[in-house]
Amino acid sequence: MHVLLCIVTGRYSSRLYIAYAPLVVLGTLLASLVPVVGFNAVLTSEHFGSFLVFIIIHVVALVYYIKGILSPKMFKVAVTLVVSIGLVVCCAVIAVLVALVASSPTKGWSGRSLSLLDPTYASKYIPIIASVSEHQPPTWPSYFMDINVLAFLVPAGIIACFSPLSDASSFVVLYIVTSVYFSGVMVRLMLVFAPAACIMSGIALSASFDVFTRSIKFQLPGVKGNSQVDAGETSSEGVVAQNEVAKTDKNEEALKERPSKKNRKKEKEHVEKPSVKAQMKKRLLVLPFEASIIAILLLILLGAFYVVHSVWAAAEAYSAPSIVLTSYSHDGLHVFDDFREAYSWLSHNTEVDDKVASWWDYGYQTTAMANRTVIVDNNTWNNTHIATVGTAMSSPEKAAWEIFDSLDVKYVLVVFGGLVGYPSDDINKFLWMVRIGGGVFPHIKEPDYLRDGQYRIDSQATPTMLNCLMYKLSYYRFVETDGKAFDRVRRTEIGKKHFKLTHFEEVFTTHHWMVRIYKLKPQKNRIRGKAKKSRSKASSTTSTKRSETQRKNPWH
Amino acid sequence: MKIGVRLDVLVFTIALLSVPVLSDLILSKVDRRIDLTSQIARITSTLKVENAGNDLVSEVLLTIPDNQAKNLAYLTATSNEGKGKVKASAVNLPVEVVHPKGMPPALTFYSVSLPKGLGKGETFTLDVLAVFTHALQPFPEEITQANIQLVVFSDTAHFLSPYTVKVQSLIVKLPEARIESYTKIENTKIHGSEIKYGPYENLPPFSYSPIGVHFEANQPFVVAQELVREIEISHWGNVQVTEHYNLVHGGARSKGEFSRLDYQSRRYVGGASAVRSLVAKLPPRAHSVYYRDEIGNISTSNLWSDSKKTELEIEPRYPMFGGWRTAFTIGYGLPLQDFLFRAEGRRYLDFSFGCPMNEVVIDTLIVKVVLPEGSTDISVSVPFPVKQWQETKFSHLDVIGRPVIVLEKTNAVPEHNQHFQVYYKFSNLSMLREPLMLISGFFLLFVAGIIYMHADLAISKSSPSYLAKLQWDEVLAVIQQFQNNINRCLTIHDKLEASLRDLSRTGDVQACKAARKAFDGLLKDLSKDLKPLLAFLQSSPQASQILPKVEELVVKEKDLQEKLMAKHSMVVDGYEKKSGGREIENRIALQQQKITALRQEVDDLLEFIEEI
Repeated sequence: MHVLLCIVTGRYSSRLYIAYAPLVVLGTLLASLVPVVGFNAVLTSEHFGSFLVFIIIHVVALVYYIKGILSPKMFKVAVTLVVSIGLVVCCAVIAVLVALVASSPTKGWSGRSLSLLDPTYASKYIPIIASVSEHQPPTWPSYFMDINVLAFLVPAGIIACFSPLSDASSFVVLYIVTSVYFSGVMVRLMLVFAPAACIMSGIALSASFDVFTRSIKFQLPGVKGNSQVDAGETSSEGVVAQNEVAKTDKNEEALKERPSKKNRKKEKEHVEKPSVKAQMKKRLLVLPFEASIIAILLLILLGAFYVVHSVWAAAEAYSAPSIVLTSYSHDGLHVFDDFREAYSWLSHNTEVDDKVASWWDYGYQTTAMANRTVIVDNNTWNNTHIATVGTAMSSPEKAAWEIFDSLDVKYVLVVFGGLVGYPSDDINKFLWMVRIGGGVFPHIKEPDYLRDGQYRIDSQATPTMLNCLMYKLSYYRFVETDGKAFDRVRRTEIGKKHFKLTHFEEVFTTHHWMVRIYKLKPQKNRIRGKAKKSRSKASSTTSTKRSETQRKNPWH
Repeated sequence: MKIGVRLDVLVFTIALLSVPVLSDLILSKVDRRIDLTSQIARITSTLKVENAGNDLVSEVLLTIPDNQAKNLAYLTATSNEGKGKVKASAVNLPVEVVHPKGMPPALTFYSVSLPKGLGKGETFTLDVLAVFTHALQPFPEEITQANIQLVVFSDTAHFLSPYTVKVQSLIVKLPEARIESYTKIENTKIHGSEIKYGPYENLPPFSYSPIGVHFEANQPFVVAQELVREIEISHWGNVQVTEHYNLVHGGARSKGEFSRLDYQSRRYVGGASAVRSLVAKLPPRAHSVYYRDEIGNISTSNLWSDSKKTELEIEPRYPMFGGWRTAFTIGYGLPLQDFLFRAEGRRYLDFSFGCPMNEVVIDTLIVKVVLPEGSTDISVSVPFPVKQWQETKFSHLDVIGRPVIVLEKTNAVPEHNQHFQVYYKFSNLSMLREPLMLISGFFLLFVAGIIYMHADLAISKSSPSYLAKLQWDEVLAVIQQFQNNINRCLTIHDKLEASLRDLSRTGDVQACKAARKAFDGLLKDLSKDLKPLLAFLQSSPQASQILPKVEELVVKEKDLQEKLMAKHSMVVDGYEKKSGGREIENRIALQQQKITALRQEVDDLLEFIEEI
C-alpha cells in the first residue's frame, strides 16, 4: 500500500524496489513453508493485493529503466506502443482473476479477514468467530490499559511525521492508520497496533524533546555570552569538553538519551547551521526558557509513569495465568486454583480413553492438563462439531444425553462462576452456544432462550432456558448453598431452584464450584420385547428431528 | 569331650526339627495385643518360652498363616529378658524364614534365634512385633459419600503356634468409634474400644479359633502405590531430596455422586474418610521446599519449621475419596554436613529410608541415591532386606554419568523409617572437574575466535579478487585518514570563526591575529599531509570511483579555506581600522553566504564519502 502510494506520488526509487520485491518473494516463500499456510499464501485472495503491487512495481521499474536509456522522443513512442498492448493484456489477466475469485462463495476471503474489512460480517454469518472475545472490538478502557500514554502521543507523532513528509514518515503514517483501523475491529490485532504506536510516540517524544532542548540551548547564550562558543565546539568536535555553562546543558543531554540517534544528529545540524545568521530567526521560534524546562521535566515524568504502568501491566495483565485466579480480601491473598484441581482430578480418576465434552474454550487445557480426549477444542477451523456440542448444551437433558452418547462422551465439564462471582463462565457464554448450535442445527432457535430479547436466568426466564442442559448442570443443587440460590455473577436469584438430574450425575465439583464435572449415567435396562420398541418409538417421536440431524453429523 | 557334646547337641537339634511337633518347648504365657487404630495392623506379642525338654534349644519358631504372611510388612523379635533394667537395651534377634518339614500346610514359619541356648527348665521372654498392611478389609467395599467406612479384621483368638501354650490372652484395640460386630467366643469381654479374649489355658499346638471384628474406621487409608525417593548428593554442600508420590485412597471405594456441597457443609457426614491433608515431617534445616505435580505448583500447602523439625502440611488438589488417586512431587534441599560423614577414609551418607509421612502404607518404595560423578568403591548397609541394584544417571556436564544406588522395598510401613548408609570414596579434586570443563570450554571458544580473526583463510594468495580486496582495504584506510584530515580542517575553520566572535566581543585584535597564525600553520601541515594520501588515491585503480568526489571535496575545502581566510582578514582589518560592526558585517555578508554554501557542500560530500 505504501509502495503504491509512493509510485502514485512519483516518489519511486530503486531503493523502494529493492526493499519491496525481495520481501514479497521471500515472505511468500517463508509463509508457505509453515505447514498450516502451505499454498494458501498463493491461492487465497487476501494476498492478491501484494502480488498486484509486485507486478506494478516491476512495470514501473521497467518504465523508469527504459526512460533512462531512451531519448524523450523515443520514449513517448515506446510508451504509446507498450501501453496499448499492456492494457489489453492487463484487462485479460484481470478478467480471468476476477472470474476465478468470484467463483468461490466468499470471494476467496476467509471469515476472519472479512470481518476485518466489514466489522459486522462475523456476527451476521459466522457466530463462532464473533464469539471469541479476542475478535470483539476493543473498548476505550482497553486501549488505555494497553497503550496508556501512547494513546496521546500517537496523534502528536502523526503531526510530527507530517512536518517534514518523507518516504519513511509517510510509510509510518500509513502503517499507524491501518493498524488503528484493524485494532479497532479486533482486540487481538492490538498486537499489530502496539509497535506502530511505539514508533509514533517515539517520534513524538523525540520531536518535542528536540523543540524544548533547542529552545533551552538558544536561550542559554543570551544568559551568558561565551556559551555559544562552547555549544559550537561541543557539537562539532564530538568529544564533549563542556565548561561551566554547559553543565545545565549536560543534564538535559543525559536525560535525552532516550530519543533516537537520528534526533541527536538532527540536533547537531541545527546547532551547526544556524551558527550566526539563522540564530536570529530561530530565536523567534523558541519557547520561553522556564516553560521548556518544565515541559521537559513533565515529559520525563510521563515517561517514568509509563514505565511503571508497563511493568505493572506486564506483571498483572499479561503474565498472570488466567487459569489460576487470585483475589485480595481482608484476610489476604486468596487463590482460586479450581481449573487445575478439576483437570488433575480428571487425569487421575478417569479412564485414559474416556472422552470429555466441554465448551471449546477449555479444549486445549483439558487435553494438556487432564490428558483426556476432548470433543471440541480451541482449533475452530471446523465449526460443525462445535455446533454439535453447543446444541447438546442447549438441549434438554435427554436429547443432550443422546448427543453425548453418540459422541462416546463419558464426562461433561461445565464452568460455573455463580458461587464466587467468576464472570467468564459457561452461563455467560451460553448465548454463543445457542447461536453457534443454531447455525448448524436449525431447531435450536435463539429467541427460545430470550425473554423479550433479554437474556435472563431468573424466574422470568423462558422454560427452554430453564430446562436446557447448561442451566441444569450449572445450577444443580446450587440452592442448597445459601438457601436462595443467588447467582453472584448475574446478581439475581435463579429461576428454577429444585430439580433433579435424570441422565447425568455429579462426579466432581471443585472447591469454589468453578468447575463441575458430570458423568453420563449408564443406559437403563430396558424391558425386553414390545415394551422396548414402543418406548424407543415414543422417544424417537419426541426427537425425530434430533435423530435426523444426528445422522447427518459425521461422528454418529 | 566338649566337642563330642557339641556334636551331640547338633545332631539332636536336627532330629528335633524333623519331629512334627516340637513338644520340647512350651509357651508358658502369651500376651497379644492387636492395634487397629490406624490402617496398619500392629500385633505385639510377648512370649514366655520355657524349655520343657532336656536338650539345649537355640531357636523359637513363629507361625503366621500364608494369607496374612503376604501382607506382612515388618517382623522383629526383641529379647525382653530381665524386665525393667535391660529393656532399654533390648536387642533385635535375627529372624529368618524357614521351611521345617512335616508341618501343616498354608503356614509360614519364621525362626527366631535366641541369643543363647535355652537349657532344661530355663525360660526366656521375647517380644514380637508383626506389622501387617492391607489387613483391614473395607466392608462394604463401596460406599457413598455420606456413608461411614466400615472395615473387617480377622485373626485367631488362640495364638497360632507349633508349641503348647499354657496361658494366653488377646486384646484388640479399636479406634474410638462404633463397633458393628465381633465374634463372641468364651471369655470375651469388651471395655470401651478394647475387646479382650481370654485367658485361655493349656491349648495344644496349632489350635486356631477364627475371630472377626467389624468396626468403623474413618481415618483415610493413604496408600502410596509407588514412592520414588531420589537423594542426590552434591559435594558443593547440598543434599537434594525429591519424592514422587503416587497415592491412592485404599479404603472403601466411593460410588455414586460426589457432592461438594455435602463435603463442605456437613464435614463429618459427607466424606468422613476422605483424605484432606497429609503432614510430612522433614529433617530440620530443610530448605527450598516445593510441592507440585505435573501441571504446576499446588498452592495448598503450609510449612512450619523450627530447630528440631520441619513440618510440611500438604493438601492434595482435591479431597481424596475411596479409590481416588493422585500424584505429586515434593522436594527439598538439606545441608550436606548433617547427613554426610567420613569414616576410615571413606564417606558415608546416613539417611532415613522410609517416607516422611505418618501412617502411609507404601506398596513399592524405591530409594535412589545419586552419588557424585567419580565416586568409587560403593557399598550399602540397610538394616532390613531390600532389592538392590545400580544405575547411571546423566546430569548436566556429566561425562561418565553418576552412579545411582537403587534400593527397592515392597510393603513399607513407618517402622521402616530407619537409617541406612551408603559408603563411597570420592576425591575432592573431582569436584573441580565440571567448573574446569566449563572454563576450558569457553577458553577454547575464545581462542578459536581469536585464531579465526587473525588467520588469513584465503585459499589462493594470488587470485585477483583477493588482491583486489587487499587493495580495497588499503584504499579504505587511506580514505579514513583523509576523512580525519578534512574533519580536522573543518574544526580549525570553526575555531577561526570562534576567534572572530571573540574578537567581536572583546575587540582584542592581537589575540585574534595570534590565533590566526597558529591556525595557518596547522592548516598548512594538514594540507601537506593530504598530498600523499591524494597521490595514493590517484594511483590506486580501486579508488577510481570515488576519486572525483574526493578531489571535488579537496577543491571545495580549499575554496572554503580561502574564503574563510579572506573573511577573517577582512574582519580583522575592519577592527584594526576601527570601522563599525555594522560596516564589517555588510562587507563580509557576501563572503559569509558563500562560506555557508560551501560548508554545506563539503558536509554533503563528507557524508557521501562516509557512506562508502
